Amino acid sequence: MFFLHNLERRVTLHPSYFGRNMHDLVTTKLVKDVEGTCAGDYYIIAIMDTFDVSEGLVLPGSGLAEFTVGYRAVVWRPFKGEVVDAIASSVNPHGFFAQAGPLRLFVSAHLIPDEIKYDANATPPQFTNNADMVIEPSTHLRVKIIGLRTEVGEMWAIGSINGDFLGCLQA
Amino acid sequence: MSKTLRLGPRLRYPITIVNLLKQPGDAVKKQQPLFRYSYKWMKEVGDAIRDDTWEEEQTSSATFDSPTEGDLKQWLIKEGQVIRADCPGLVVKEACGHEIQFQGMCGICGKDMTEVSWASETRDTDRAPISMVHDQTSLTVSKTQAQRTENELQKRLLQSRKLTLVVDLDQTIIHACIDPTVGEWQKDPTNPNYESVKNVKAFQLNDGPRGVAHQCWYYIKMRPRLEEFLRRIATMYELHVYTMGTRAYAEGVARIVDPERKLFGNRVISRDENGNMFAKSLQRLFPVSTNMVVIIDDRADVWPKNRSNLIKVSPYDFFRGIGDINSSFLPKRQDIITPAADIPAVNGNGAPPVGGKKAKEGEAAAPAEGDLAVTQLQVEEQKRALEKQMMDRPLQLLQLKQDKEDEEAEKATTQSENSQDAPPSSQPQTRHQVLRDDDDELEYLEQHLTRLHKVYFEEHDRELQDAAATDDFQLPDVGRTLSTLKRRAMRGVTVALTGMIPNGVTVEDTEIGQQLRSFGATVASRITRDVTHLVVNTLRPMTDKWRQARRIPSIKIVNQDWLAACFSQWATVDETPYLFSVASNGAPAPAVEEASDPDVASGSDEDAPPKGIKRLRLKAPTLKLVGVGGDTQELDGDESDDEDDGEDELEAEFNNLAPDALEDGQLSPIDGLKSFNWGSVDEELDEFLASGSDDDDDDEDEDEDEDEGMTDADGPAATRKRKFDADEDKEEGGTDSEVPSSQETAGSRSGRTSQAKRLRRTKSARGTSSLRNQYVSDVDGEEAGKQKKSSLPTPQVTGDEDGGELNGLDAEMEAEMEAELMAEFEAAPGIMVEEKG
Repeated sequence: MFFLHNLERRVTLHPSYFGRNMHDLVTTKLVKDVEGTCAGDYYIIAIMDTFDVSEGLVLPGSGLAEFTVGYRAVVWRPFKGEVVDAIASSVNPHGFFAQAGPLRLFVSAHLIPDEIKYDANATPPQFTNNADMVIEPSTHLRVKIIGLRTEVGEMWAIGSINGDFLGCLQA
Repeated sequence: MSKTLRLGPRLRYPITIVNLLKQPGDAVKKQQPLFRYSYKWMKEVGDAIRDDTWEEEQTSSATFDSPTEGDLKQWLIKEGQVIRADCPGLVVKEACGHEIQFQGMCGICGKDMTEVSWASETRDTDRAPISMVHDQTSLTVSKTQAQRTENELQKRLLQSRKLTLVVDLDQTIIHACIDPTVGEWQKDPTNPNYESVKNVKAFQLNDGPRGVAHQCWYYIKMRPRLEEFLRRIATMYELHVYTMGTRAYAEGVARIVDPERKLFGNRVISRDENGNMFAKSLQRLFPVSTNMVVIIDDRADVWPKNRSNLIKVSPYDFFRGIGDINSSFLPKRQDIITPAADIPAVNGNGAPPVGGKKAKEGEAAAPAEGDLAVTQLQVEEQKRALEKQMMDRPLQLLQLKQDKEDEEAEKATTQSENSQDAPPSSQPQTRHQVLRDDDDELEYLEQHLTRLHKVYFEEHDRELQDAAATDDFQLPDVGRTLSTLKRRAMRGVTVALTGMIPNGVTVEDTEIGQQLRSFGATVASRITRDVTHLVVNTLRPMTDKWRQARRIPSIKIVNQDWLAACFSQWATVDETPYLFSVASNGAPAPAVEEASDPDVASGSDEDAPPKGIKRLRLKAPTLKLVGVGGDTQELDGDESDDEDDGEDELEAEFNNLAPDALEDGQLSPIDGLKSFNWGSVDEELDEFLASGSDDDDDDEDEDEDEDEGMTDADGPAATRKRKFDADEDKEEGGTDSEVPSSQETAGSRSGRTSQAKRLRRTKSARGTSSLRNQYVSDVDGEEAGKQKKSSLPTPQVTGDEDGGELNGLDAEMEAEMEAELMAEFEAAPGIMVEEKG
């Protein structure tokens, strides 16, 4: 799910940047550092704006200035049970991998409807019910997240297409 | 699926079950109490300060918490039961077996597998330990799941009557290099290599190591007729790619080899997913059964566990001297059969060059498994190697060299225009190409694979018929089929190798030896009558074994190309094109050898010293002329006066000459004593005593004598002894001709009784004296130097080393300069050779 989230971050600036447009530089640096990263259990998708840039404090010893920046960002936090759209990336006999934006999902063969079978003879190998459902790399899918795990800077999920309205998206 | 839970060893046995908290059919959650039990224990009570304590038995109760989640099916214990040791307690129908796991989550129920709790003794992540997917390491499965998947795979393959073929990329089906020269040649139709390189495909890689080699072009040359080969093979085999390159590289190559992805599909595994930098393993892809898997690879040593399934192909070396660009991680290869046609090796990238690669073997220690530091080091090395290839442009160098040679050759014949400037149309012959596209390995490989497929399925059908009766079908093992097929190839052939493998390595352990055996040939470590073929390395001809083998007409002496041809054709190929002849290799022609023959004969015919001794000495590898001359003479002797014991003696002699059987070598001198003329020995001694006038360097000699544990005596006796030492050494050099001199003298001396030594000494003095006039000093020296030089670049010395010393000695003796002889004798062999050569 997407959220607009108020966040805070300390940004340091090199003395050579001290000057009139310091706050712009701080914002630029913030955007560069933060956008597109995984912060624990959510991804920071985009920074809307910074609403509070504190006064810079020169750090003793290094000369860098530290700003505490409050900013508003669009974050995406996948939840267990959430249904997301994803693109299949690779298929193997145990299931297939899919990518929902930055999130890597695995859908095991157990969580694929019974009529959709693995077909190793196809090129490339695919899951198919020999009708409208063909899951091969680059297929668009609707997947329900049933498990999530995070590590520092990374996130993975287990998905399922076993349910109503899940599975291949008709183009 | 049901799972029987044990109570575990952690409980304080004996325990008494108080009551069961769950009934069969109840759902249980993780860490939920299942039953209550009581146990007894001793508690220390009383006043510890006054030291007035005693133990009292206490009864406590505790609960047993469920280590798993599911439905309780059955209790195997009952209330009131006393349990004395770990035993099965209950049966639970698990909600999820966690058989597929991805990044620490169960792929079936989505639960976090990395959680640990007090209730369970094993971790859930251990339930799915097997990684068997090509492009992932994070996806693991349980044993049963692996089994299931593999059974399905086998069923499917059997239905379509296919086998699995695991294909290596580098130097097996393609040859890759990153030398930008190739790109330039491709754009230049006037280049002599244009024809060869115009079909070279290229791709750019973004994930390569940073630096010079970043974003460089990879030039991929497919092995000739690869496309047809793969297309035909794909009807019989399901193809997998297994490479030591990176993922991106593997996919890049796969795109070139198989643009429609029909052949390999997504079955590509690379170094990134292999989980091991140094070895490939079929178990990575087929953890349960490799009964239907065949491998083709140019290196056997990277498949330590799956040799039986491996078909080793000869490495494809199109970009000459480049080697395998992805092999920096692997140990240096030992198994190359260098083509007999001399190839100037350009060591482009630290990967083993074609020729004298052994020179840098010292640095290539066997990599410690899982050693991160080493791996890091090798990543660096790989990067450096790639950069080096970019910068050095080995191919360009090679071509320049070739051009230069051509130029010179041209100048030598006609004073025509410079070949570099000449239009190629008018003078197509002037510039020779470096790259030649003349490889026919795949043709044979296809034959073998087709045959293997046929035989396997014949076997399978037979088995199936049998199974119809006995109801016990067992999938035949293609590894066994392959071994049977291969073993027929060279059956009955006994091969001896010379100059091919390093000293001190048993032939059986080497790659070539193992391969020979897999083809059903017998590998002989020394020349006997049983040997049918002697394989001579043309870069190191003129070895001792070669000389021995020359005397047995039944031995076919062939060059290493014969071996390569046999390996690739799976047959004992006709030897005729591969016969090794001395003249063609620039070695001294036999005519010269014969020239010295009369001398030899005249010098030795009157007192006829024992054959064994004479032969042994004459066998000394670098006493070339004398040795070969002696051979001739000896053979004459065999025919004329030695007919009675000719056969036996020949055999015995072979044993004596054996390179790695020191025991035999030790026996030989004593054998020779049986027919020894002791009278002439005494005469010889007297002669020495009379003539011994060179006592100046007794001191130098002392070390030598002390080595032998003998006390040196003064005066003429010392001289005599010293003289014998010299002779003895020469003698030993002849005996253990395959062992380098220093090692040999030390080795053969130690462990012999002084008595035997004395005997031998006398004998050898005798033997030498009669042959003294045979030594041809100047030619010997030259020859010795030459041989020494030829064997220098590699550590694979096959015994040529000691010749320098021996020759030096002979020369001095010939000149009767005793003092100098001693000085030389004390000096190291290497120094002497330098003086001589």
